[in-house]
Amino acid sequence: MSYWMRVKALFKRKQLDHDLEEELAFHLAMREAKNRERGQGRDEARYAARRQFGNVMRIKEACREAWSFVSLETTWRDLRYGARALARNPGFTAVAVLATALGIGVNTGIFSVMNGVALKLLPVPSAQQIVSVDQIFHGNVRRNVEGEPGLFSYTEYKNYQANNHVFSGLLAYAPFLEATLGGEDPKQLMGAETSCNFFDLLGERPALGRVFVEEDCRAPEASAVVVLSEDLWRTRFGADRLIVGKSVSLNRAKFLVIGVAAAGFHGLDPWPSAFWAPVTMQKALEPQRDVLAEDNTGWLAMLGRMRPGASLEEVRADLGVIAGRIDQQHPGRATTLVIHRATFMGRPEERSIAFGVGAVVLAAVGLVLLIACANVANLLLARASARQKEIAIRLSIGGSRWRIARQLLTESLLVAFLGGTLGSLLAFWSLEGIARYVLTHLPHGAPELIWNVSPDLHVWAYSMALTALTGIVFGLAPALHATRQDLSTAAKGEGVGLMRKAAGGGMLRNTLVGMQVAVCMVLLIGAGLLMRGLYYAQTADPGFEMKGITQARFDLPSQGYNLEKARAFQRDLMARVAALPGVDEVEQARVTPLGHQWEGTGLTLAGETQERGFEFNVVTPGFFAMLGMPIVRGRTFTESETRSDAPVLVVTESTARRLWPGQEAIGKTLRNDEKTQCPVVGVVRDSQASHLGKTDGLFFYTPAGPAAQDRLQLLVHSKGGDAATANGIREAARALDADLIVDVTKLEDNLEAWRTPSRIVAALSGVLGALALLLASIGVHGVVSYGVSQRIREVGIRMALGADGRDVMKLVLRQALRPVVIGAIVGVIGCAAVSQVLSNILYGMGSHDPVAFVGVPLFLLGIAFLASYIPARRAVRVDPVVALRYE
Amino acid sequence: MEKDGDLMQGTLDMLVLKALARGAKHGYGVAEWIHDSSNDVLHVEEGALYPALHRLELKGLLAAEWGTSENNRRAKYYSLTAVGRKKLAEETEYWRRMSGAIARVMQTA
Repeated sequence: MSYWMRVKALFKRKQLDHDLEEELAFHLAMREAKNRERGQGRDEARYAARRQFGNVMRIKEACREAWSFVSLETTWRDLRYGARALARNPGFTAVAVLATALGIGVNTGIFSVMNGVALKLLPVPSAQQIVSVDQIFHGNVRRNVEGEPGLFSYTEYKNYQANNHVFSGLLAYAPFLEATLGGEDPKQLMGAETSCNFFDLLGERPALGRVFVEEDCRAPEASAVVVLSEDLWRTRFGADRLIVGKSVSLNRAKFLVIGVAAAGFHGLDPWPSAFWAPVTMQKALEPQRDVLAEDNTGWLAMLGRMRPGASLEEVRADLGVIAGRIDQQHPGRATTLVIHRATFMGRPEERSIAFGVGAVVLAAVGLVLLIACANVANLLLARASARQKEIAIRLSIGGSRWRIARQLLTESLLVAFLGGTLGSLLAFWSLEGIARYVLTHLPHGAPELIWNVSPDLHVWAYSMALTALTGIVFGLAPALHATRQDLSTAAKGEGVGLMRKAAGGGMLRNTLVGMQVAVCMVLLIGAGLLMRGLYYAQTADPGFEMKGITQARFDLPSQGYNLEKARAFQRDLMARVAALPGVDEVEQARVTPLGHQWEGTGLTLAGETQERGFEFNVVTPGFFAMLGMPIVRGRTFTESETRSDAPVLVVTESTARRLWPGQEAIGKTLRNDEKTQCPVVGVVRDSQASHLGKTDGLFFYTPAGPAAQDRLQLLVHSKGGDAATANGIREAARALDADLIVDVTKLEDNLEAWRTPSRIVAALSGVLGALALLLASIGVHGVVSYGVSQRIREVGIRMALGADGRDVMKLVLRQALRPVVIGAIVGVIGCAAVSQVLSNILYGMGSHDPVAFVGVPLFLLGIAFLASYIPARRAVRVDPVVALRYE
Repeated sequence: MEKDGDLMQGTLDMLVLKALARGAKHGYGVAEWIHDSSNDVLHVEEGALYPALHRLELKGLLAAEWGTSENNRRAKYYSLTAVGRKKLAEETEYWRRMSGAIARVMQTA
């Protein structure tokens, strides 16, 4: 009812106003008449009536508000007024909007990256019903892991699938499958082995042909069929519509193409799948392992579609029961299931990385926004004091303080909204470009990634919420402050000059400047430390020689090679490569230095029972000489040790020091899995062969004998051009096996893969630091120079009274610089804390870096000095008479 | 601004309803009634009455009609609607309980 009356009132505004006028006039007339009856004079009676009535304007306003959609109409009025005020002051508006745009843009951008990486639901129909299931083991765990520790074995998957009551379906897939697509030009692909309900459960229809049916998964190796991705179909098979029914070769096994997935479907991980094969074909795809039958090997990721009406809690409870039953077969082991709505990067390890990094970055960009807010708040404060007269007049003719504060807030929200929209649009627009750039400039060998950073509802909501919050944060203090003023002085245009110094505005402004300086310091010093740390890590000498060395990497077991065939291949390849012109050395190694491959095992020290974790490499005797790793004690392997696969070890210097401090390591033994005692024959100098910027931990080498030939790669040293050598190696390999993919690169290229992430982080922190510095400089300059120019009158008076120019100058400078100095001190203290935290998270960062700690505060102080010195000098030189008239 | 006899908004609404319980009155009449029946203890800032009247009218507790006053001027007369009457009964009951309770509390030594 009241709603309807208000709607009607909207159209009868004039009538209502007139009625209200008449109603109140009637009241006043009656009161006046009554007062006259009591014997008051005419004028006296009228004034008394008015007095008793109260502020007529305000009461009319209150009555109108009752009738109108108050908030709506007032807001609309405020908006129009605010827009006019902003348009009148384009300089202020531009700076404020720009500062806000920078702050919000950076935040929105980072958030949409995080959203794209880890928050978006999977791009499949009814994705909110799909949950991912992972497990974490506690207690006494003995388990084989392929990929990530939270994955399931095939039997476990079958168990969950058969016994749960909460899913309409449960799927499993192996996320880390690589296979070689045979043909004229063999190509290495990422793919997935999936349960046969994979596509049906996800609701994905094929663009061509069919997807898997249960029959395809009936028995191991029963149905060699494959679904190709639309991408692969287009780029590799020329979008051949007759592809269905043809055969392709994957890791040298024939697979029948039964369908092509819909365009845009790339599987369930950030790295796109090019093909999908039934999980039961695992052995055919990966002849080197047979995990389908292993009960205790985790290799499958599980996703379920919840039954309508089922809740996450029910899912957790139901699957928990099954996990408990499985645990009973493994005494001493307890399993916790991690179950949540499925996203990209959903597995626990990936999540913790994404969220850890995300939190640090969001905190950093949050600080940038804070600086931007302080800037705009200061601008608003300065503007509010310019509008003191207007505000004072409105207050004194009965405008309520809340009403005026609200109007000022509307104005600042308008600024925030303009800035937020501008910033968000800039962020979305530039992000697509940045993402494309980053993805196309990933180092050699990094997997291709799908990275959908386009904004969705989450991002818009985030950016809108942030915008509103920003508007309130930078608008509230100035609005409240501006409406709390001494009416008489302000209306007269006084209150500028001598009195301002003590006024609250100066205090608030100074606090804001101090805060800005402190926050900016934290950011800059953080960024500085980070960049210097990364620079150090990048330029660090890895401790071995890479020049002139070419690496040839290939995977024989997955291509169906047994040990025998592998030995023949390696022997022939090495002979051919050694005969290439310019090649003077050919060595073999299980993993190439800094090649992003790691081998680990456990060894037991004599007299101990507990295994220790080691990294290791399997190398030929000349490996150390080729890479310039000096053997500091003992010797490298002998030819006969290598030929006989002797269990002898070369350990690194720091390994020897840690295991046998103060003793001779040569001759000591370590026991391996097969209870064999392995004697140490040599100690090699420490290097950073497995992680750049980090000396290897416990590390040993064993000889690359005949038994190791199936899993070795080549390192080739040549005097000639690297390109010629690389081509020669490729030719040689192709002559032996045309279908084998051999990745031939310079060894130095391995460094790139290590440096790219550091470069991205360094670029990001550099940009953020520069942004913070820019905003803080603008802020400090603006506020300090404004503060000084406000005191020109005061300076004039002092000069007129005969003060010494230099003393006045000193006084002005001291007062202007004080908040900056205080901010800098707070900042340095904050930085000490932040750098402690950062150095825990980020490896290779020193926590006390003099350049960052001293340089940044000095720079900001310099800016504040200039900003105050120039107007102060002007003030001191100006004729006192002019200064006194200055406003 | 604060002095004895100031009224909280909810209380003012209740008094307005009470003032109209015996029949229609214009705004001035309501102010006078509150004055008189409180023996001049309650000073209603007279202007504040009008937003309250309009609010109550919008809520449908009061009905308003333009009529002619005792001195032959056009005046807006307010009267209770059925909803208003019910509301008044509730408020009266609530007030009775509250004031009784407060009185008991205050009398406790």
